[in-house]
Amino acid sequence: MIPATFDYRRADSVADALALLHEYGDEAKLLAGGHSLLPLMKLRLATPQMLVDVGRLGQLSYVRQEGDEVAIGALTRHRDLEVSEVARHSVPVLAHVAGQVGDPQVRHRGTIGGSIAHGDPASDLPAVVLALGGTLVVDGPGGRREIPSTEFFTGFLETAVRPDEMLVEIRVASTAGGWSFQKFNRRAQDWAIVGAVAVAAADGATRVSLVHMGATPLRAAATESALAGGATPAEAAAVAAEGLEPPSDANASREYRRHLAEVLVRRALEDVSLGHG
Amino acid sequence: MTVVREIDVEVRVNGAAYRCGVPPRLTLADFLRERCGLTGTHLGCEHGVCGACTVLLDGEAVRSCLVFAVQADGAEVTTVEGMAGPGDELSPVQAAFRDHHGLQCGFCTPGFVVSVTAFLRDHPDPTDEEIRQGLSGNLCRCTGYQGIIAAVRAAAGQHARRGREEPTAAHP
Amino acid sequence: MTSLEATAARYVGARVPRVEDPRLLTGHGTFVDDVTRPGMLHACFVRSPFARARLGRIDATVALDLPGVRAVFAAADLNPGVHEQWYTLIGKDVPDTPRPPLAEGEARFVGDPVALVVATDRYVAEDAADLVDVDYEPLPPVVDYTTALAATELVHEAYPGNLAGALGAPMSEDLAAVFGGAAHVTSATIHQQAYAPVPMETRGMVAEWSGDELTVWSATQAPHEVRMFLARLLGIAEHQVRVIMRDTGGAFGQKVLPLREDMCIALAAMRLPAALKWIEDRRENLLAAGMSRHEHGEAQMAFDGDGRILAAHLDHVQDVGAYPTPWPVGTAMAVGLLFPGPYRVPAAGYRTTSLFSNTSGRTAYRGPWQFESVAREVLLDIAARRMGIDPVDLRRRNLLRHDELPHTNPNGMPYSDMTPIETFEQALGMLDHEAFRREQADARATGRYLGMGTCSYAEPTTSAMAFQGTEGATVRIEPSGKVNVYVAGGSTGNSLETAVVQLTADALGVDIADVRTVQGDTAVTPFGAGTGGSRSGSMLAGAVEESTTVLRERIVTIAAHQLEAAPEDIELADSSARVRGTPAVSVPLAEIADIAYFQPHRLPEGVPPGLEVSARYRARSPLIWANATHLCTCEVDPVTGAVTVLRYIVSEDCGPMINPNVVEGQIAGGSVQGIGGVLYEHLAYDEDGNPLTTTFMDYLLPTATEVPVIEYGHIETPSPGPGGYKGVGEGGAIGAPPAVINAVADALSPLGVEITRLPLTPAAVVALIEGAR
Repeated sequence: MIPATFDYRRADSVADALALLHEYGDEAKLLAGGHSLLPLMKLRLATPQMLVDVGRLGQLSYVRQEGDEVAIGALTRHRDLEVSEVARHSVPVLAHVAGQVGDPQVRHRGTIGGSIAHGDPASDLPAVVLALGGTLVVDGPGGRREIPSTEFFTGFLETAVRPDEMLVEIRVASTAGGWSFQKFNRRAQDWAIVGAVAVAAADGATRVSLVHMGATPLRAAATESALAGGATPAEAAAVAAEGLEPPSDANASREYRRHLAEVLVRRALEDVSLGHG
Repeated sequence: MTVVREIDVEVRVNGAAYRCGVPPRLTLADFLRERCGLTGTHLGCEHGVCGACTVLLDGEAVRSCLVFAVQADGAEVTTVEGMAGPGDELSPVQAAFRDHHGLQCGFCTPGFVVSVTAFLRDHPDPTDEEIRQGLSGNLCRCTGYQGIIAAVRAAAGQHARRGREEPTAAHP
Repeated sequence: MTSLEATAARYVGARVPRVEDPRLLTGHGTFVDDVTRPGMLHACFVRSPFARARLGRIDATVALDLPGVRAVFAAADLNPGVHEQWYTLIGKDVPDTPRPPLAEGEARFVGDPVALVVATDRYVAEDAADLVDVDYEPLPPVVDYTTALAATELVHEAYPGNLAGALGAPMSEDLAAVFGGAAHVTSATIHQQAYAPVPMETRGMVAEWSGDELTVWSATQAPHEVRMFLARLLGIAEHQVRVIMRDTGGAFGQKVLPLREDMCIALAAMRLPAALKWIEDRRENLLAAGMSRHEHGEAQMAFDGDGRILAAHLDHVQDVGAYPTPWPVGTAMAVGLLFPGPYRVPAAGYRTTSLFSNTSGRTAYRGPWQFESVAREVLLDIAARRMGIDPVDLRRRNLLRHDELPHTNPNGMPYSDMTPIETFEQALGMLDHEAFRREQADARATGRYLGMGTCSYAEPTTSAMAFQGTEGATVRIEPSGKVNVYVAGGSTGNSLETAVVQLTADALGVDIADVRTVQGDTAVTPFGAGTGGSRSGSMLAGAVEESTTVLRERIVTIAAHQLEAAPEDIELADSSARVRGTPAVSVPLAEIADIAYFQPHRLPEGVPPGLEVSARYRARSPLIWANATHLCTCEVDPVTGAVTVLRYIVSEDCGPMINPNVVEGQIAGGSVQGIGGVLYEHLAYDEDGNPLTTTFMDYLLPTATEVPVIEYGHIETPSPGPGGYKGVGEGGAIGAPPAVINAVADALSPLGVEITRLPLTPAAVVALIEGAR
């Protein structure tokens, strides 16, 4: 389990990282915590020619309150997010879920930006950012641009970040209402077989997102519209898997995932309506 | 295939400086085992699950199979070889593992010792549930975790007692 | 003999800290991957990506051009080097199944080694393996062993019907008559999925040929087996092979015999100028280090109107993969022989059938016959429910009592020294069975599903068969009075070092800190069979007893001579020999050693010089029986299918305990493997024979967050062996699966669920509930 050979440059600034991405184009991959990338490289499922190490860009590790929003630097490690006072106060669901990613060693090394930019449908944090209606800030040759989370995840392990761009910040609105994260896995350290996030947003709507229920992290659109139409949690949960094509694998069939999605969304919605979080 | 270019790194391991050129794909685990001769760090899966290769990287427990040596340039690494006290006296965590049959074959043990040492620093008075969560990144196939959990509980007790006697030793 | 016994045991029976621990806790163990040799080369296997394919040309040109690559070997290069290939453990006269070092002509499972790359560095070796161009012509594989008998395709041409072998017989007319006349007959076909030993250290070997001697560092349970096997394989003398193992990171059966890759490394090393190292990676381990537990059986029992067992029959079929090790037909017989278990069963029969498939070969795993307990105990619970009685009551009516033994089961197993009903009642008492049934009823009333399950088994340990029937120890008291004990070793977490040191310290009356042990080097240790078959406790106790008895007699004779006392008045304690009742009259062991080594003229007439004795123990009985009852309670979430184990109780009778910590550690480790086998682990293939679980992200080992607290009850019935000790290594992995399965089945019984298929994943549990609706 040895990765194929590659070349390596360490970026000293975002500008430096962008310049390296520009120079090496498709051959380059950004390396942050490396916890999504390295296992793939070791199995030789990923063979980048050039790794641009952004792991030292300390300026991208922060959790800041900015008005009604919380801004999180892309290189903030899960553990730092989990214990961040700002996150715990203003977006407790995000701090909570950061503490549920993988296991302690993963949380010490993995970053929120890495997790989101990888776009894995089985990851927890992208779903939370979706449920929070967050915005992803990327930097690139044309300067910074903001991408709504609903437009960010474009396909299996694909995002709206262009090859010469880099995710630098995640922005989410502070929440005051209830929230719930329901993760179903077989062991604590595992990826979710299915996960559900529900957040009572400031505008009175309840946003619901799902983990591992399709090619991308996604919002439970049918559930959200049912809720908007006045459905009860049970009624809204019953349509959680509507229109979704979750994967089948050794842990779970597509049908079982659909079943779990309904169960977990119902539990999440009941949790939120009871004012938990 | 890319031409292999070596990159100079300097890593402080257990207080000693190691400086050498490494290919970018050399993992920190292999750097420690092969370049530093510190074979206490074990490789049980090489893909970031079993935790046998856990070391402290700038104080945090991480899997050295999922870190390239080049990423550790300039960092401070502590391996299981750096855990014992002066004169090879077992650390409280190591002693608790011995006292509570927390190891059998010993292959996963270095990773557990490192993980638990960092865990107890951050959670000096853990609940059983916190202990189990804290160990969730390390696999053991021999003990069924019974002796390990007992050892962590015991070491936590010692830790808490020491913390009270020497407030400066307590971590936030 | 009594006059020669040391003072009362200080260490045996106590929770003595392990002597292995300081080095392992500080990172100073020596596992095979820690060994480096000058100029050492590294191996990487090229493995088949197809479940079955005809092998064409193997072109290594590009690989050999890569800087650092020293050699690429194919079957044509290595396989002709094989002289003889058979295991000492099994003997050469069994009709063994094929086991070529590298695949010849056909690749027979995904992961089948087809070529071996040798390079200066492991990274380069792996790069080069990707560059070896193998011409594969895919063939239709035999993936599902349950249909292999009727398949037109053959895994091995020489085995029609893919039949590796069969033993026993279908139900006889006599037995059928008993079933025909019985008040109740229960039958169920129970399927177990493939899972595997999965030690945390993968397999590995370093082999170095000097032109005259082959030195091998191996991750093994049996260094002497590796030595003999490789000597025969390579056609060199045994004493030209030295096998060294210091620390081995778990094995559980997987490392009891050298496998095909080990053969390749030794064969290749003979042709290389420097040592060759192979360290299996985890993907290879899950692909190719073997599979276990994949089997099913039609289990049948007949009962009278009071629920007493009248007869039992098991028709067992097992998957042996493409290249099983060892010969799988013999081990399958144990499944049939033990199916009646620790119950009063007047009549029984069995048949076992072993079938090849194009998957990883079956290997030994902790209690390889474990399916006898799965089939019997799951069937008993099904039978109890169908008869409308509590499974506990059914067992109470049928379990053997200690005072009914010896008792020979209907398949000829001579049970003795066991406590089946006694461990069962102890476990129930620890649980408070009646209180649990009340709690369960209350929970059901609120829509929660709790369950309890048990498993009682009879386990043959310490087989005296051939290679395993004797064990040697050399004990040397150094001139200083310090003690060294040399035994064959093979400890892979089994704490053999601690056990031997405890036994020796007590036997010689010395402080445990003054005793060290040397194990795992065939050049200096006595011959021995290593770990396996839950044999080491008893056999090492015998070996230490044999050699220390001779030593004690010599020490006492010398001391009596020095102290001018009668030998029968001398006792050994505190590292000295002293007159019983007058401890001040004593001579230190160091002084006795000084006389024995350096002043032979002071020795009494006829006493040989020196204090070094080698002796060999011969097992006193063909088997030593151990037994236990496992009891599990759980809660099942009927909506998600999640199973949470609540309490886990083991009442074990492994005789007197040399070290209770070690005993409990073995029970816990085995039990958690069994829990893993029911709830988490599955070495799975798709229908094309592609493995689905080749990383630890897919093959789920239990972690600290899933395992229950294990509670131990001990009943200590002495065996006929030395010290009364019995084996304990394997039992946990035998007893746990049925207890867990039965607990889940009990929880779901109000829903009409019967469990006959494993593993019990959440999805499977939901499907069972849906199916019962």
